[in-house]
Amino acid sequence: MQRKYAAAGAGLLVLMLLAATMPAAVLGASSATTSAPHQITVSFLQAALIAIGYYLANSPWLFGLAFFTLYRPLVAGFFVGLILGDPAQGTLIGAAINIPYLGFISAGGNLPADAGFAGWVGTTVALASGIDATKAIPIAFGLGLLGTIIFYSRMAVDSVFAHWADARAEKADIAGVALMNWLPGQAFLFVVSFVPVFLLALNGPSAVQDALNALPLWTVNGLVIAGGILPAIGIALNMRFIFRGSAIPYFFIGFILMTVTHGSVSLVVIAAIGLCLAYLHLNFVSRDAPLAAAQAAESTAAPVQAQEPKVRLTRGDLIRSWALWTFFAHANYSYERLQGTGFAHAMTPIIKRLYTTPDEIRDALKRHLVFFNTEPNFGNVVHGTVIAMEEQRANGAAIDDDAINSVKSGLMGPMAGIGDTLSQSTITPILLALGIGIAGGTASGSAVPTLSGATGNPLGAIIYMVLVSIVIVAIGYTAWMQGYSRGRSFVTEILKSGTIDRVLIGAGVLGNMVLGALAATFVVVNLAPTVTIAGAQMNLQASIIDPLFPGALALGLVVMTWWLLQRRVNPLALLAIYLVFAIVSAYPFFGPGQANSGDYSYGACTSSLLHQYTPCGAPPAPTAQP
Amino acid sequence: MSLCLVRIDDRLIHGQVVAVWLRALGAQRIVIVDDASARDEFLREVLTLAAPQGVPVEVHDVASGAVRCIELATTPEPVIVLARSPRTILALRQAGVPIEVVDVGGMGGGPGRKRLHKTISISPDELRELRELEQLGTRVEIQIVADDRPIPFRSLDSGN
Repeated sequence: MQRKYAAAGAGLLVLMLLAATMPAAVLGASSATTSAPHQITVSFLQAALIAIGYYLANSPWLFGLAFFTLYRPLVAGFFVGLILGDPAQGTLIGAAINIPYLGFISAGGNLPADAGFAGWVGTTVALASGIDATKAIPIAFGLGLLGTIIFYSRMAVDSVFAHWADARAEKADIAGVALMNWLPGQAFLFVVSFVPVFLLALNGPSAVQDALNALPLWTVNGLVIAGGILPAIGIALNMRFIFRGSAIPYFFIGFILMTVTHGSVSLVVIAAIGLCLAYLHLNFVSRDAPLAAAQAAESTAAPVQAQEPKVRLTRGDLIRSWALWTFFAHANYSYERLQGTGFAHAMTPIIKRLYTTPDEIRDALKRHLVFFNTEPNFGNVVHGTVIAMEEQRANGAAIDDDAINSVKSGLMGPMAGIGDTLSQSTITPILLALGIGIAGGTASGSAVPTLSGATGNPLGAIIYMVLVSIVIVAIGYTAWMQGYSRGRSFVTEILKSGTIDRVLIGAGVLGNMVLGALAATFVVVNLAPTVTIAGAQMNLQASIIDPLFPGALALGLVVMTWWLLQRRVNPLALLAIYLVFAIVSAYPFFGPGQANSGDYSYGACTSSLLHQYTPCGAPPAPTAQP
Repeated sequence: MSLCLVRIDDRLIHGQVVAVWLRALGAQRIVIVDDASARDEFLREVLTLAAPQGVPVEVHDVASGAVRCIELATTPEPVIVLARSPRTILALRQAGVPIEVVDVGGMGGGPGRKRLHKTISISPDELRELRELEQLGTRVEIQIVADDRPIPFRSLDSGN
């Protein structure tokens, strides 16, 4: 599988590099907003900082939040922009690169594409070589497929370190197990992350620039067109999670709000309207929402132990254990154990407190080094519950290994199912969509109808980072502590109360609004063909379709993509088809002279089907026949 | 065939199943066949509550699971069947459940287990059981999530 992705990635990358080729002079003329592409030479130090940034995005050092923050192209774009001296443009490029990854989910050691690699390397290459955000989308996507090699090599190698941890456990060496969970795995990860990103950051931009001087103009136009239609795939992938049932109309409301106001409302306003509608929807519309108050307070479980316990865990132990987990859950993520060594690492403060003899310590360490995987935030109820069981066991309760193992192995799956639905397929994409929408506007805060006029707004990345961090940490901490103090009754109570379903339904309303607005901004379809009516030649889209329903074609493309994905069309196949279609549709079948002549102006319709940036309208386009 | 996915996964219901497979297949029901979960009231409850709303989850032991699967195989409703181990699937197959393809989706590593592919590790017993399933005419494929290309078990089974 990794070979397949690597090959696809490499192939796509070569294609992209070839297609990105364009004489610098024409590039300047092609963009209506930027006078000339400002190219940046990436210094040694800047390349090193970018490479460290990419490593950090995969590392445990940011309180486990790297996966939700630095790993996302929106945030990566902001930091690359900071490093290279243009945070606004960096954020804009990162936001554009992020769109195909809106529906990105990595569950159970499976990584469809390396969004982090696409974000860090893609933004660097695009920013330094002066490529605009639209063209960066297809280039970065190719990079993302290539980047999975890093992840899969790490997953394979980390299995070895899990065995090193086993050896330490055999010697009842608590600190040794903890060390084996992060030191070797992170050392390896640093090398395999730093080296390729450093080299690409240093040499990638000039390689792209060199390649920029070879290919015919229409292929580059095709690339711009691809940058307009590929976002439909990312948005549709995300729609698979929330575009259903009674939440569907909100997608169209969001889209229409954005198009009829020509993007003059900011995404924050759309989100605020979405929140209000979510409230109304939950209380007055949705019939599938369970009633919150209907559930009678169940008699809470009686305290498990009556007599004074021998050893007690302190609040400090619990917090230390939670912090270790939050930091290091994925520090040694391996195919063989997934989060197994991370679980043992998190248990070290608990084991230290509860057990004294080497035999007890060894058994406890080995007990928690086995295969384990859950969603590392909501799934923390498992840890809380297990810690409570360990405490009771240390105090003489008849809890054997089987009891603890069955709770771990029984709960880790279901909790991951709920946790992934909450964090990865609801909270993160909605907040990302919000951040991307803000980032894709202008620095003054208002959004713009399409990417081509945007200047970028770093606030989008910052707001996203802050919000996602607060939400994720709050979920993780609550789940951990509640799991400990109430264990099984907390699990059944929260599942039965319908709270999670209400959150998901409400988030679905908000998410559809924001996603619809995002589709209006980032999905761009510009028809080239013209029709002759009453002697006047008019562009089919600009004069006929858009006045009736602005953005109808883009909306149609998004809904069609969603429909195809629902019918199990492979997203990668779809991506390839759209890419080829975009480039072919830019070919000047009816163009003046040869494809390469370069003597035609940009206002004229040279392409056969689709046009870049704007529908070719006002200037007469004598060559394009209906 | 309305048993649209018969999957071996030692975590039963989790992110890959709920967030990826369920959506990809549009399945409307999940049947879990697992003796241990069927015995444990708490686990049964958690599993039933772990799927998204509108997708009923049934937890059966092998005996009642076989009856239920045979029944569901004839209805048009798309169903996902989950089991923890090859042994359970083999038992279902021997009890007459029509299983054309079994998907190996998750089997964790541990002592005495050999890594077959990515997150799939296997014990000698399980290897034997999968081979037996193939002999009974059930295709065994490894496919972790819906967008992966399925890998035939035979191509990974070196035969030792």
